[in-house]
Amino acid sequence: MDNLATLNIMITIFAVMAGICGIVMLLAKQPLTSALGLLGVLLFTAGIYGLIGEHFIATIQLVVYAGAIMVLFIFSIMLFNLKSNEHDARRKMPLLIGSLAVAGGVFGLLVATILKYFETPLALASPGSFSRQTISDLGGNSLVLAHSLFTQHFISFEAISLALLIALVGAVVLAKRRFE
Amino acid sequence: MGTTIQILAAFLFTLGLLTVIVRRNSIILLMGIELMLNAANLSLVGFSQYLSQVNGQVQVFFVITIAAAESAIGLSILVNIYRNFSTINTDHTVTLKG
Repeated sequence: MDNLATLNIMITIFAVMAGICGIVMLLAKQPLTSALGLLGVLLFTAGIYGLIGEHFIATIQLVVYAGAIMVLFIFSIMLFNLKSNEHDARRKMPLLIGSLAVAGGVFGLLVATILKYFETPLALASPGSFSRQTISDLGGNSLVLAHSLFTQHFISFEAISLALLIALVGAVVLAKRRFE
Repeated sequence: MGTTIQILAAFLFTLGLLTVIVRRNSIILLMGIELMLNAANLSLVGFSQYLSQVNGQVQVFFVITIAAAESAIGLSILVNIYRNFSTINTDHTVTLKG
């Protein structure tokens, strides 16, 4: 029980840090500061994945998101060499208030739904077959995930690999093309 | 534990939405989209853990792959926009009148 309490505290700390990094990303003047805020969000999210026992997803998050995608973003920021962004994030007041109202409405609805319906008896009555103990007995998170990926979801996996190939070709074509 | 994760996912999604609405720098717009995808991933993993299933994690694996492809394509489009307009501010990259 003490272990679970520690886990809850750690998850809460990571969640607060991720939220702070997200706010930094939203409010930062410089694009590089925004990128570092996003990097913080991704790292703390990976930490939460690791804490709740999803080790494979945590690794993928670190390697692909916090590694590859963030390097791509920071490389692009330095490539574009943006100097003047004084007009950024200064919309007219009614628009700003309207967007804040929309975002607040979305957040309020989501949180109200979560708090009201999260622990429904219907969801807890028929849990799946992969509890934490079962996953540990079967040989760990990565093994179970890989087995599911290469048997049940094999067609999806191949389709995703095709999509990645198309994206690769598309990125090369777009970057080399000269528009009039 | 599960509620914390879901509320964090909702908060991060809202921040990403607000980023896409408010900011005018196209790179930061793409970052907002990544933040929203990340929030959806967090929610999927949280529910997958909560319901003792493994399907949500497979879904997250696919979403991360597609997010990587999306950011690569988006940034190469931005390179083209920067070549044409010499800026990536969404106020100045307009060709249609009105």
